[in-house]
Amino acid sequence: MAHTNRNVIYGLYDDEEIMLTAIKEANAQHLEIMDVYTPFPVHGLDPLLGLSESRLHIAGFIYGLLGTLTAFLGMTWIFTKDWPVVFGGKPHWSVPAFIPITFELTVLFAAIGMTFTFYIVCGLGPGVTNEVLDDRITDDKFCIAFDESEVDSAKAKSFLSSTGASEINKKILS
Amino acid sequence: MNQFTFTGRLKTSLIIMMVVGLVSMGLTWIWDDEIHTRFWSNYLHNASFFTGISLMAGFFIAVCITAWAGWYAVFKRVWESFSMFLIVGLVLMAIMGLGVYFGWHHIYHWADPVAAVEDKIISGKTGFLNKNWYLFGTIVIVGTWYFLSSRIRSLSIAEDNDDNDTDFAKHRRMRLYAAIFLPIAGFTSAAMVWQWIMSVDSHWYSTLFAWYCGASWFVSMICLTIMSLLYLRAKGYLQQVSVEHMHDLGKFLFAFSIFWTYLWFSQYMLIWYGNVGEETIYYRTRFDHFKPLFYANLVINFLFPFFVLMRNDTKRKFGSLGLVAGVVFIGHWLDYFLMIKPGVMHTAHEHLSHGHDAGGHHDMSFQLGVQMPGFLEIGTMIGFLGLFLFVFFSALSKASLVAKNDPYIHESLHHHV
Repeated sequence: MAHTNRNVIYGLYDDEEIMLTAIKEANAQHLEIMDVYTPFPVHGLDPLLGLSESRLHIAGFIYGLLGTLTAFLGMTWIFTKDWPVVFGGKPHWSVPAFIPITFELTVLFAAIGMTFTFYIVCGLGPGVTNEVLDDRITDDKFCIAFDESEVDSAKAKSFLSSTGASEINKKILS
Repeated sequence: MNQFTFTGRLKTSLIIMMVVGLVSMGLTWIWDDEIHTRFWSNYLHNASFFTGISLMAGFFIAVCITAWAGWYAVFKRVWESFSMFLIVGLVLMAIMGLGVYFGWHHIYHWADPVAAVEDKIISGKTGFLNKNWYLFGTIVIVGTWYFLSSRIRSLSIAEDNDDNDTDFAKHRRMRLYAAIFLPIAGFTSAAMVWQWIMSVDSHWYSTLFAWYCGASWFVSMICLTIMSLLYLRAKGYLQQVSVEHMHDLGKFLFAFSIFWTYLWFSQYMLIWYGNVGEETIYYRTRFDHFKPLFYANLVINFLFPFFVLMRNDTKRKFGSLGLVAGVVFIGHWLDYFLMIKPGVMHTAHEHLSHGHDAGGHHDMSFQLGVQMPGFLEIGTMIGFLGLFLFVFFSALSKASLVAKNDPYIHESLHHHV
Protein backbone atom coordinates (compact mmCIF):
# COMPACT_ATOMS: atom_id res chain seq x y z
CA MET A 1 0.00 0.00 0.00
CA ALA A 2 1.48 3.31 -1.02
CA HIS A 3 1.07 6.01 1.57
CA THR A 4 1.55 9.65 1.02
CA ASN A 5 3.34 11.39 3.82
CA ARG A 6 1.16 12.40 6.70
CA ASN A 7 1.85 15.28 8.98
CA VAL A 8 0.77 14.12 12.38
CA ILE A 9 0.28 16.27 15.43
CA TYR A 10 -0.07 14.30 18.63
CA GLY A 11 -0.36 14.78 22.35
CA LEU A 12 0.88 12.46 25.08
CA TYR A 13 -1.19 12.00 28.22
CA ASP A 14 0.02 10.54 31.49
CA ASP A 15 -3.23 8.86 32.46
CA GLU A 16 -5.94 7.04 30.55
CA GLU A 17 -8.74 8.80 32.42
CA ILE A 18 -7.45 12.22 31.32
CA MET A 19 -7.20 10.89 27.78
CA LEU A 20 -10.75 9.50 27.83
CA THR A 21 -12.08 12.86 29.01
CA ALA A 22 -10.08 14.55 26.24
CA ILE A 23 -11.60 12.24 23.61
CA LYS A 24 -15.09 13.13 24.83
CA GLU A 25 -14.13 16.78 24.48
CA ALA A 26 -12.80 16.19 20.96
CA ASN A 27 -16.05 14.51 19.99
CA ALA A 28 -17.95 17.48 21.37
CA GLN A 29 -15.79 19.86 19.30
CA HIS A 30 -16.12 17.63 16.21
CA LEU A 31 -12.35 17.29 15.90
CA GLU A 32 -11.45 14.39 13.62
CA ILE A 33 -9.11 12.11 15.61
CA MET A 34 -6.72 10.18 13.37
CA ASP A 35 -5.95 7.47 15.94
CA VAL A 36 -5.37 6.78 19.60
CA TYR A 37 -2.38 4.78 20.87
CA THR A 38 -2.30 3.19 24.31
CA PRO A 39 0.10 0.74 25.98
CA PHE A 40 -2.81 -1.52 27.01
CA PRO A 41 -6.49 -1.95 26.12
CA VAL A 42 -8.44 0.88 27.73
CA HIS A 43 -12.01 0.19 28.86
CA GLY A 44 -14.62 2.27 27.09
CA LEU A 45 -12.29 3.53 24.37
CA ASP A 46 -13.89 1.74 21.43
CA PRO A 47 -17.37 3.25 21.75
CA LEU A 48 -15.88 6.74 22.21
CA LEU A 49 -13.94 6.40 18.97
CA GLY A 50 -17.03 5.02 17.26
CA LEU A 51 -15.30 1.75 16.36
CA SER A 52 -17.62 -1.05 15.39
CA GLU A 53 -17.42 -4.42 17.11
CA SER A 54 -14.62 -6.64 15.83
CA ARG A 55 -15.74 -9.43 13.53
CA LEU A 56 -12.72 -11.54 14.44
CA HIS A 57 -14.80 -13.82 16.67
CA ILE A 58 -17.11 -14.69 13.76
CA ALA A 59 -14.04 -15.81 11.84
CA GLY A 60 -12.97 -17.68 14.97
CA PHE A 61 -16.28 -19.56 15.09
CA ILE A 62 -15.91 -20.60 11.45
CA TYR A 63 -12.32 -21.77 12.01
CA GLY A 64 -13.42 -23.68 15.09
CA LEU A 65 -16.23 -25.36 13.20
CA LEU A 66 -13.76 -26.26 10.47
CA GLY A 67 -11.50 -27.83 13.11
CA THR A 68 -14.41 -29.81 14.55
CA LEU A 69 -15.37 -31.17 11.15
CA THR A 70 -11.77 -31.89 10.13
CA ALA A 71 -11.09 -33.88 13.27
CA PHE A 72 -14.39 -35.72 13.46
CA LEU A 73 -14.83 -36.55 9.80
CA GLY A 74 -11.10 -37.23 9.44
CA MET A 75 -11.10 -39.78 12.25
CA THR A 76 -14.34 -41.27 10.99
CA TRP A 77 -12.79 -41.86 7.58
CA ILE A 78 -9.47 -43.12 8.95
CA PHE A 79 -10.91 -45.53 11.50
CA THR A 80 -13.80 -46.90 9.47
CA LYS A 81 -12.65 -46.81 5.83
CA ASP A 82 -8.95 -46.11 5.43
CA TRP A 83 -7.28 -48.18 8.16
CA PRO A 84 -9.74 -49.90 10.53
CA VAL A 85 -7.98 -51.21 13.63
CA VAL A 86 -9.62 -52.80 16.66
CA PHE A 87 -8.65 -51.05 19.88
CA GLY A 88 -9.60 -52.88 23.06
CA GLY A 89 -12.61 -54.54 21.45
CA LYS A 90 -14.26 -51.18 20.79
CA PRO A 91 -16.23 -50.54 17.59
CA HIS A 92 -14.39 -48.81 14.74
CA TRP A 93 -16.57 -45.77 14.96
CA SER A 94 -16.02 -44.95 18.67
CA VAL A 95 -17.44 -41.49 19.15
CA PRO A 96 -16.39 -41.00 22.82
CA ALA A 97 -12.75 -41.64 21.89
CA PHE A 98 -12.98 -39.02 19.14
CA ILE A 99 -14.24 -36.23 21.39
CA PRO A 100 -10.92 -35.17 23.02
CA ILE A 101 -9.14 -34.91 19.66
CA THR A 102 -12.12 -33.12 18.13
CA PHE A 103 -11.99 -30.65 20.98
CA GLU A 104 -8.24 -30.10 20.60
CA LEU A 105 -8.41 -29.51 16.87
CA THR A 106 -11.32 -27.11 17.32
CA VAL A 107 -9.22 -25.03 19.69
CA LEU A 108 -6.12 -25.29 17.51
CA PHE A 109 -7.88 -24.28 14.30
CA ALA A 110 -9.66 -21.39 15.99
CA ALA A 111 -6.48 -20.11 17.66
CA ILE A 112 -4.20 -20.36 14.63
CA GLY A 113 -6.87 -19.14 12.23
CA MET A 114 -7.67 -16.10 14.35
CA THR A 115 -4.00 -15.26 14.84
CA PHE A 116 -3.28 -15.30 11.12
CA THR A 117 -6.46 -13.40 10.29
CA PHE A 118 -5.50 -10.79 12.85
CA TYR A 119 -2.01 -10.43 11.37
CA ILE A 120 -3.32 -10.13 7.83
CA VAL A 121 -6.03 -7.61 8.75
CA CYS A 122 -3.51 -5.48 10.67
CA GLY A 123 -0.87 -5.76 7.94
CA LEU A 124 1.58 -7.39 10.29
CA GLY A 125 4.06 -10.10 9.45
CA PRO A 126 7.74 -10.90 9.13
CA GLY A 127 9.77 -8.05 7.64
CA VAL A 128 7.11 -5.42 8.18
CA THR A 129 8.30 -2.28 9.88
CA ASN A 130 5.87 0.14 11.40
CA GLU A 131 6.78 3.64 12.22
CA VAL A 132 5.95 4.41 15.81
CA LEU A 133 4.95 7.92 16.76
CA ASP A 134 6.72 7.78 20.08
CA ASP A 135 8.34 4.81 21.79
CA ARG A 136 6.75 5.69 25.11
CA ILE A 137 3.25 4.83 23.85
CA THR A 138 4.32 1.21 24.27
CA ASP A 139 5.25 1.92 27.87
CA ASP A 140 3.31 4.45 29.92
CA LYS A 141 1.97 7.22 27.67
CA PHE A 142 -1.45 7.59 26.11
CA CYS A 143 -1.52 9.31 22.77
CA ILE A 144 -4.16 11.14 20.74
CA ALA A 145 -3.03 11.84 17.17
CA PHE A 146 -4.47 14.22 14.55
CA ASP A 147 -3.75 14.32 10.85
CA GLU A 148 -2.99 17.91 9.83
CA SER A 149 -4.75 17.43 6.51
CA GLU A 150 -7.96 16.68 8.41
CA VAL A 151 -7.89 19.22 11.21
CA ASP A 152 -6.65 22.75 11.66
CA SER A 153 -3.27 22.37 13.40
CA ALA A 154 -3.65 25.43 15.61
CA LYS A 155 -7.01 24.14 16.78
CA ALA A 156 -5.58 20.68 17.44
CA LYS A 157 -2.69 22.15 19.39
CA SER A 158 -4.88 24.31 21.58
CA PHE A 159 -7.20 21.33 22.13
CA LEU A 160 -4.31 19.11 23.26
CA SER A 161 -2.84 21.67 25.62
CA SER A 162 -6.22 22.58 27.10
CA THR A 163 -7.15 18.94 27.81
CA GLY A 164 -4.03 18.18 29.82
CA ALA A 165 -1.57 16.63 27.38
CA SER A 166 1.85 16.58 29.01
CA GLU A 167 3.66 16.86 25.68
CA ILE A 168 2.66 17.96 22.17
CA ASN A 169 4.79 16.91 19.20
CA LYS A 170 4.75 16.77 15.44
CA LYS A 171 5.99 14.00 13.25
CA ILE A 172 5.87 13.10 9.58
CA LEU A 173 4.76 9.54 8.94
CA SER A 174 5.77 8.15 5.57
CA MET B 1 -35.23 1.50 47.28
CA ASN B 2 -32.45 0.07 49.36
CA GLN B 3 -34.70 -2.05 51.53
CA PHE B 4 -36.53 -5.07 50.20
CA THR B 5 -40.07 -5.44 51.50
CA PHE B 6 -41.37 -8.99 51.56
CA THR B 7 -44.90 -8.18 50.44
CA GLY B 8 -47.90 -10.18 51.53
CA ARG B 9 -48.71 -11.00 47.93
CA LEU B 10 -45.32 -12.56 47.33
CA LYS B 11 -45.58 -14.40 50.63
CA THR B 12 -48.97 -15.80 49.62
CA SER B 13 -47.75 -17.03 46.26
CA LEU B 14 -44.73 -18.71 47.85
CA ILE B 15 -46.95 -20.33 50.46
CA ILE B 16 -49.21 -21.58 47.65
CA MET B 17 -46.11 -23.10 46.03
CA MET B 18 -45.25 -24.82 49.30
CA VAL B 19 -48.81 -26.10 49.66
CA VAL B 20 -48.61 -27.51 46.13
CA GLY B 21 -45.40 -29.22 47.21
CA LEU B 22 -46.94 -30.64 50.37
CA VAL B 23 -50.01 -31.90 48.50
CA SER B 24 -47.77 -33.52 45.88
CA MET B 25 -45.66 -35.15 48.55
CA GLY B 26 -48.77 -36.36 50.35
CA LEU B 27 -50.19 -37.86 47.17
CA THR B 28 -46.82 -39.44 46.41
CA TRP B 29 -46.83 -41.01 49.85
CA ILE B 30 -50.35 -42.41 49.36
CA TRP B 31 -49.86 -43.77 45.82
CA ASP B 32 -46.44 -45.19 46.61
CA ASP B 33 -45.18 -48.73 47.07
CA GLU B 34 -45.05 -50.11 50.61
CA ILE B 35 -41.59 -48.67 51.38
CA HIS B 36 -42.41 -45.22 49.91
CA THR B 37 -39.56 -45.27 47.42
CA ARG B 38 -40.93 -42.52 45.21
CA PHE B 39 -41.63 -40.20 48.12
CA TRP B 40 -38.20 -40.56 49.70
CA SER B 41 -36.27 -40.37 46.45
CA ASN B 42 -38.09 -37.15 45.52
CA TYR B 43 -37.37 -35.83 48.99
CA LEU B 44 -33.66 -36.64 48.76
CA HIS B 45 -33.48 -35.26 45.21
CA ASN B 46 -34.90 -31.84 46.11
CA ALA B 47 -33.41 -31.54 49.59
CA SER B 48 -29.87 -32.23 48.38
CA PHE B 49 -30.33 -30.06 45.28
CA PHE B 50 -31.43 -26.93 47.16
CA THR B 51 -29.03 -27.46 50.07
CA GLY B 52 -26.20 -27.65 47.54
CA ILE B 53 -27.33 -24.45 45.85
CA SER B 54 -27.22 -22.57 49.13
CA LEU B 55 -23.79 -24.02 49.91
CA MET B 56 -22.49 -22.85 46.55
CA ALA B 57 -23.77 -19.32 47.20
CA GLY B 58 -21.95 -19.14 50.53
CA PHE B 59 -18.88 -20.77 49.04
CA PHE B 60 -18.76 -18.37 46.11
CA ILE B 61 -18.95 -15.34 48.41
CA ALA B 62 -15.96 -16.81 50.26
CA VAL B 63 -14.16 -17.26 46.93
CA CYS B 64 -14.85 -13.64 45.94
CA ILE B 65 -13.74 -12.26 49.33
CA THR B 66 -10.53 -14.29 49.27
CA ALA B 67 -9.79 -13.29 45.68
CA TRP B 68 -10.34 -9.60 46.55
CA ALA B 69 -13.01 -9.48 43.88
CA GLY B 70 -15.22 -6.42 43.73
CA TRP B 71 -17.69 -6.82 40.89
CA TYR B 72 -20.26 -8.80 42.91
CA ALA B 73 -20.41 -6.41 45.89
CA VAL B 74 -23.55 -4.62 44.71
CA PHE B 75 -25.69 -7.76 44.82
CA LYS B 76 -23.83 -9.79 47.45
CA ARG B 77 -26.91 -9.72 49.71
CA VAL B 78 -28.58 -12.07 47.22
CA TRP B 79 -25.88 -14.70 47.68
CA GLU B 80 -25.77 -14.11 51.42
CA SER B 81 -29.51 -14.70 51.57
CA PHE B 82 -29.22 -17.85 49.43
CA SER B 83 -26.68 -19.22 51.89
CA MET B 84 -29.11 -18.66 54.77
CA PHE B 85 -31.14 -21.58 53.42
CA LEU B 86 -28.37 -23.84 54.75
CA ILE B 87 -30.07 -23.99 58.16
CA VAL B 88 -33.22 -25.34 56.47
CA GLY B 89 -31.06 -27.67 54.42
CA LEU B 90 -29.53 -28.91 57.65
CA VAL B 91 -32.99 -29.85 58.94
CA LEU B 92 -34.02 -31.41 55.62
CA MET B 93 -30.91 -33.55 55.36
CA ALA B 94 -31.01 -34.41 59.06
CA ILE B 95 -34.50 -35.85 58.46
CA MET B 96 -32.93 -37.96 55.73
CA GLY B 97 -30.25 -39.01 58.24
CA LEU B 98 -32.83 -39.85 60.89
CA GLY B 99 -34.59 -41.92 58.26
CA VAL B 100 -31.40 -43.91 57.76
CA TYR B 101 -30.94 -44.16 61.51
CA PHE B 102 -34.41 -45.41 62.31
CA GLY B 103 -35.05 -47.24 59.04
CA TRP B 104 -37.88 -44.99 57.81
CA HIS B 105 -36.79 -45.47 54.21
CA HIS B 106 -34.79 -47.86 52.03
CA ILE B 107 -33.11 -45.40 49.72
CA TYR B 108 -29.61 -46.65 50.49
CA HIS B 109 -28.62 -50.24 49.93
CA TRP B 110 -25.80 -49.92 52.47
CA ALA B 111 -28.31 -49.03 55.19
CA ASP B 112 -29.65 -52.58 55.00
CA PRO B 113 -28.00 -54.35 58.00
CA VAL B 114 -27.92 -57.70 56.16
CA ALA B 115 -26.22 -56.23 53.12
CA ALA B 116 -23.69 -54.44 55.31
CA VAL B 117 -22.50 -57.82 56.57
CA GLU B 118 -23.04 -60.22 53.68
CA ASP B 119 -22.35 -57.96 50.70
CA LYS B 120 -18.54 -57.86 50.29
CA ILE B 121 -18.37 -54.48 48.52
CA ILE B 122 -20.75 -52.77 50.92
CA SER B 123 -19.14 -54.26 54.02
CA GLY B 124 -15.84 -52.80 52.82
CA LYS B 125 -17.41 -49.34 52.77
CA THR B 126 -19.11 -49.45 56.16
CA GLY B 127 -16.38 -47.29 57.71
CA PHE B 128 -17.88 -44.37 55.83
CA LEU B 129 -21.33 -45.55 54.82
CA ASN B 130 -23.00 -46.22 58.15
CA LYS B 131 -26.03 -44.73 59.87
CA ASN B 132 -24.05 -43.05 62.65
CA TRP B 133 -21.73 -41.15 60.37
CA TYR B 134 -24.52 -40.29 57.94
CA LEU B 135 -26.50 -38.47 60.62
CA PHE B 136 -23.53 -37.11 62.55
CA GLY B 137 -21.57 -36.05 59.47
CA THR B 138 -24.56 -34.35 57.89
CA ILE B 139 -25.36 -32.33 61.01
CA VAL B 140 -21.76 -31.35 61.79
CA ILE B 141 -20.72 -30.53 58.25
CA VAL B 142 -23.85 -28.67 57.12
CA GLY B 143 -23.81 -26.97 60.51
CA THR B 144 -20.24 -25.80 59.86
CA TRP B 145 -21.23 -24.48 56.44
CA TYR B 146 -24.12 -22.59 57.99
CA PHE B 147 -21.96 -21.25 60.82
CA LEU B 148 -19.29 -19.87 58.48
CA SER B 149 -21.85 -18.45 56.03
CA SER B 150 -23.80 -16.76 58.79
CA ARG B 151 -20.61 -15.31 60.32
CA ILE B 152 -19.73 -13.78 56.95
CA ARG B 153 -23.26 -12.46 56.58
CA SER B 154 -23.51 -10.96 60.05
CA LEU B 155 -20.08 -9.29 59.66
CA SER B 156 -21.23 -7.94 56.31
CA ILE B 157 -24.37 -6.46 57.90
CA ALA B 158 -22.40 -5.12 60.86
CA GLU B 159 -20.00 -3.50 58.41
CA ASP B 160 -22.93 -1.76 56.78
CA ASN B 161 -24.17 -0.32 60.07
CA ASP B 162 -20.76 0.96 61.14
CA ASP B 163 -19.77 4.07 59.21
CA ASN B 164 -16.62 4.63 61.27
CA ASP B 165 -14.88 1.37 60.40
CA THR B 166 -12.14 3.12 58.45
CA ASP B 167 -9.48 0.41 58.67
CA PHE B 168 -11.95 -2.26 57.45
CA ALA B 169 -11.52 -4.39 60.57
CA LYS B 170 -14.78 -6.20 59.84
CA HIS B 171 -13.82 -6.93 56.28
CA ARG B 172 -10.48 -8.33 57.44
CA ARG B 173 -12.36 -10.63 59.79
CA MET B 174 -14.65 -11.70 56.96
CA ARG B 175 -11.57 -12.49 54.94
CA LEU B 176 -10.39 -14.81 57.70
CA TYR B 177 -13.72 -16.68 57.82
CA ALA B 178 -13.79 -16.85 54.03
CA ALA B 179 -10.29 -18.33 53.89
CA ILE B 180 -11.28 -20.94 56.49
CA PHE B 181 -14.46 -21.72 54.57
CA LEU B 182 -12.70 -22.50 51.27
CA PRO B 183 -10.85 -25.74 52.15
CA ILE B 184 -13.66 -26.85 54.46
CA ALA B 185 -16.30 -26.44 51.77
CA GLY B 186 -14.02 -27.97 49.16
CA PHE B 187 -13.35 -31.19 51.05
CA THR B 188 -16.56 -31.65 52.99
CA SER B 189 -18.88 -30.97 50.05
CA ALA B 190 -17.24 -33.97 48.36
CA ALA B 191 -17.91 -36.12 51.42
CA MET B 192 -21.53 -35.00 51.54
CA VAL B 193 -22.01 -35.71 47.83
CA TRP B 194 -20.61 -39.21 48.33
CA GLN B 195 -22.87 -40.07 51.21
CA TRP B 196 -26.04 -38.26 50.12
CA ILE B 197 -26.04 -38.92 46.40
CA MET B 198 -23.33 -41.26 45.14
CA SER B 199 -24.08 -43.88 47.79
CA VAL B 200 -27.55 -44.56 46.33
CA ASP B 201 -25.51 -46.71 43.92
CA SER B 202 -23.77 -48.42 46.81
CA HIS B 203 -21.63 -50.75 44.71
CA TRP B 204 -20.49 -48.11 42.33
CA TYR B 205 -18.15 -45.17 42.72
CA SER B 206 -16.54 -42.50 40.62
CA THR B 207 -13.71 -40.30 41.84
CA LEU B 208 -14.87 -37.17 40.06
CA PHE B 209 -18.52 -37.54 41.01
CA ALA B 210 -18.22 -34.88 43.73
CA TRP B 211 -16.87 -32.35 41.27
CA TYR B 212 -19.59 -33.23 38.82
CA CYS B 213 -22.31 -32.70 41.45
CA GLY B 214 -20.62 -29.54 42.67
CA ALA B 215 -20.52 -28.10 39.15
CA SER B 216 -24.20 -28.91 38.78
CA TRP B 217 -24.97 -27.11 42.04
CA PHE B 218 -22.87 -24.15 41.03
CA VAL B 219 -24.54 -23.71 37.64
CA SER B 220 -27.97 -23.97 39.28
CA MET B 221 -26.93 -21.34 41.81
CA ILE B 222 -25.84 -18.96 39.03
CA CYS B 223 -29.15 -19.58 37.20
CA LEU B 224 -31.13 -18.81 40.33
CA THR B 225 -29.03 -15.67 40.92
CA ILE B 226 -29.73 -14.41 37.41
CA MET B 227 -33.46 -15.07 37.76
CA SER B 228 -33.64 -13.48 41.22
CA LEU B 229 -31.78 -10.38 40.06
CA LEU B 230 -34.05 -10.03 37.03
CA TYR B 231 -37.07 -10.37 39.33
CA LEU B 232 -35.73 -7.82 41.82
CA ARG B 233 -34.87 -5.40 39.03
CA ALA B 234 -38.31 -5.76 37.52
CA LYS B 235 -39.80 -4.93 40.92
CA GLY B 236 -37.74 -1.76 41.06
CA TYR B 237 -35.02 -2.95 43.41
CA LEU B 238 -31.27 -3.12 42.79
CA GLN B 239 -31.29 -0.75 39.82
CA GLN B 240 -27.52 -0.46 40.41
CA VAL B 241 -27.14 -3.99 39.04
CA SER B 242 -26.36 -3.16 35.45
CA VAL B 243 -26.04 -5.09 32.24
CA GLU B 244 -22.33 -5.40 33.06
CA HIS B 245 -23.01 -7.49 36.16
CA MET B 246 -25.51 -9.63 34.29
CA HIS B 247 -22.96 -10.10 31.51
CA ASP B 248 -20.46 -11.46 34.03
CA LEU B 249 -23.06 -13.80 35.51
CA GLY B 250 -23.85 -14.93 31.97
CA LYS B 251 -20.17 -15.69 31.47
CA PHE B 252 -20.17 -17.78 34.63
CA LEU B 253 -23.25 -19.63 33.41
CA PHE B 254 -21.60 -20.25 30.05
CA ALA B 255 -18.21 -21.24 31.42
CA PHE B 256 -19.49 -23.52 34.17
CA SER B 257 -21.93 -25.22 31.82
CA ILE B 258 -18.87 -26.19 29.80
CA PHE B 259 -17.06 -27.21 32.98
CA TRP B 260 -20.02 -29.40 33.96
CA THR B 261 -19.95 -31.02 30.51
CA TYR B 262 -16.23 -31.60 30.80
CA LEU B 263 -16.78 -33.53 34.04
CA TRP B 264 -19.84 -35.34 32.71
CA PHE B 265 -17.90 -36.47 29.68
CA SER B 266 -14.70 -37.33 31.55
CA GLN B 267 -16.64 -39.61 33.88
CA TYR B 268 -18.47 -41.21 30.98
CA MET B 269 -15.42 -41.67 28.76
CA LEU B 270 -13.20 -43.21 31.42
CA ILE B 271 -15.87 -45.73 32.36
CA TRP B 272 -16.61 -46.49 28.71
CA TYR B 273 -12.94 -46.90 27.94
CA GLY B 274 -12.12 -49.00 31.01
CA ASN B 275 -15.10 -51.26 30.28
CA VAL B 276 -15.22 -52.73 33.78
CA GLY B 277 -18.60 -54.30 34.48
CA GLU B 278 -18.89 -52.91 38.00
CA GLU B 279 -18.53 -49.41 36.58
CA THR B 280 -20.39 -49.65 33.28
CA ILE B 281 -23.56 -50.86 35.04
CA TYR B 282 -24.15 -47.24 36.04
CA TYR B 283 -24.49 -46.20 32.40
CA ARG B 284 -26.07 -49.48 31.31
CA THR B 285 -29.05 -48.73 33.60
CA ARG B 286 -29.33 -45.21 32.26
CA PHE B 287 -29.10 -46.33 28.64
CA ASP B 288 -31.66 -49.09 29.05
CA HIS B 289 -34.30 -47.32 31.11
CA PHE B 290 -33.55 -43.57 31.09
CA LYS B 291 -32.49 -42.96 27.51
CA PRO B 292 -34.57 -39.82 26.69
CA LEU B 293 -33.47 -38.11 29.90
CA PHE B 294 -29.87 -39.19 29.46
CA TYR B 295 -29.56 -37.38 26.12
CA ALA B 296 -31.85 -34.52 27.11
CA ASN B 297 -29.45 -33.86 29.98
CA LEU B 298 -26.63 -33.17 27.55
CA VAL B 299 -28.76 -31.10 25.17
CA ILE B 300 -30.30 -28.89 27.87
CA ASN B 301 -27.22 -28.42 30.01
CA PHE B 302 -24.55 -28.20 27.35
CA LEU B 303 -25.65 -27.62 23.74
CA PHE B 304 -28.39 -25.12 24.61
CA PRO B 305 -26.40 -22.75 26.88
CA PHE B 306 -23.26 -23.25 24.78
CA PHE B 307 -24.76 -22.11 21.50
CA VAL B 308 -27.15 -19.51 22.90
CA LEU B 309 -24.72 -17.80 25.27
CA MET B 310 -21.73 -17.99 22.94
CA ARG B 311 -22.43 -14.56 21.51
CA ASN B 312 -21.69 -11.39 23.40
CA ASP B 313 -25.13 -9.85 22.98
CA THR B 314 -27.16 -12.83 24.23
CA LYS B 315 -25.34 -12.54 27.55
CA ARG B 316 -26.19 -8.84 27.69
CA LYS B 317 -29.87 -9.10 26.82
CA PHE B 318 -32.02 -9.91 29.81
CA GLY B 319 -34.55 -11.91 27.79
CA SER B 320 -32.12 -14.44 26.37
CA LEU B 321 -30.07 -14.61 29.57
CA GLY B 322 -33.16 -15.19 31.71
CA LEU B 323 -34.49 -17.83 29.34
CA VAL B 324 -31.22 -19.78 29.42
CA ALA B 325 -31.04 -19.45 33.21
CA GLY B 326 -34.55 -20.88 33.57
CA VAL B 327 -34.03 -23.77 31.19
CA VAL B 328 -30.61 -24.72 32.56
CA PHE B 329 -31.94 -24.58 36.13
CA ILE B 330 -34.56 -27.18 35.21
CA GLY B 331 -31.87 -29.07 33.31
CA HIS B 332 -29.70 -29.48 36.38
CA TRP B 333 -32.69 -30.47 38.45
CA LEU B 334 -33.20 -33.24 35.86
CA ASP B 335 -29.51 -34.08 36.15
CA TYR B 336 -30.02 -34.76 39.86
CA PHE B 337 -33.10 -36.81 39.06
CA LEU B 338 -30.93 -38.95 36.79
CA MET B 339 -28.26 -39.32 39.48
CA ILE B 340 -30.65 -40.47 42.18
CA LYS B 341 -33.64 -42.32 40.71
CA PRO B 342 -31.97 -45.31 38.98
CA GLY B 343 -29.95 -46.37 42.02
CA VAL B 344 -32.88 -45.87 44.36
CA MET B 345 -35.23 -47.91 42.18
CA HIS B 346 -32.69 -50.70 41.98
CA THR B 347 -32.37 -50.86 45.78
CA ALA B 348 -36.15 -50.74 46.18
CA HIS B 349 -36.66 -53.63 43.76
CA GLU B 350 -34.12 -55.73 45.59
CA HIS B 351 -35.69 -54.89 48.92
CA LEU B 352 -39.22 -55.65 47.78
CA SER B 353 -38.21 -58.95 46.20
CA HIS B 354 -36.15 -59.81 49.32
CA GLY B 355 -33.38 -60.95 47.08
CA HIS B 356 -29.79 -59.87 46.73
CA ASP B 357 -29.41 -60.54 43.02
CA ALA B 358 -26.92 -58.27 41.33
CA GLY B 359 -29.57 -56.51 39.28
CA GLY B 360 -30.97 -56.46 35.80
CA HIS B 361 -33.65 -59.06 36.48
CA HIS B 362 -36.39 -56.84 37.77
CA ASP B 363 -39.18 -55.37 35.72
CA MET B 364 -38.39 -51.84 34.62
CA SER B 365 -41.31 -51.06 32.34
CA PHE B 366 -42.02 -47.38 31.89
CA GLN B 367 -43.43 -45.60 34.90
CA LEU B 368 -43.99 -41.90 35.36
CA GLY B 369 -41.97 -40.74 38.35
CA VAL B 370 -39.32 -43.37 37.78
CA GLN B 371 -37.97 -42.97 34.26
CA MET B 372 -39.33 -39.46 33.81
CA PRO B 373 -40.46 -36.85 36.33
CA GLY B 374 -44.24 -36.92 36.65
CA PHE B 375 -46.61 -34.26 37.93
CA LEU B 376 -45.88 -35.24 41.51
CA GLU B 377 -42.14 -34.73 41.01
CA ILE B 378 -42.79 -31.33 39.46
CA GLY B 379 -45.15 -30.47 42.32
CA THR B 380 -42.55 -31.52 44.89
CA MET B 381 -39.95 -29.39 43.14
CA ILE B 382 -42.31 -26.38 43.15
CA GLY B 383 -42.81 -26.89 46.88
CA PHE B 384 -39.10 -26.99 47.64
CA LEU B 385 -38.47 -24.02 45.35
CA GLY B 386 -41.17 -22.10 47.21
CA LEU B 387 -39.52 -22.94 50.52
CA PHE B 388 -36.11 -21.91 49.22
CA LEU B 389 -37.41 -18.61 47.87
CA PHE B 390 -39.36 -17.94 51.06
CA VAL B 391 -36.20 -18.28 53.14
CA PHE B 392 -34.28 -16.26 50.55
CA PHE B 393 -36.72 -13.34 50.44
CA SER B 394 -37.16 -13.19 54.18
CA ALA B 395 -33.37 -13.11 54.66
CA LEU B 396 -33.15 -10.46 51.95
CA SER B 397 -35.72 -8.26 53.68
CA LYS B 398 -33.71 -8.21 56.91
CA ALA B 399 -30.83 -6.09 55.61
CA SER B 400 -30.20 -3.26 53.18
CA LEU B 401 -30.01 -4.44 49.58
CA VAL B 402 -26.79 -2.66 48.65
CA ALA B 403 -23.97 -2.96 51.16
CA LYS B 404 -22.87 0.66 51.20
CA ASN B 405 -19.78 0.15 53.39
CA ASP B 406 -18.30 -2.77 51.53
CA PRO B 407 -14.72 -1.79 50.60
CA TYR B 408 -15.35 -2.82 47.02
CA ILE B 409 -18.78 -1.25 46.57
CA HIS B 410 -17.55 1.56 44.31
CA GLU B 411 -15.62 -0.82 42.13
CA SER B 412 -18.83 -2.79 41.77
CA LEU B 413 -21.02 0.25 41.10
CA HIS B 414 -18.70 1.30 38.27
CA HIS B 415 -18.18 -2.21 37.02
CA HIS B 416 -17.41 -2.36 33.34
CA VAL B 417 -16.54 -5.43 31.34
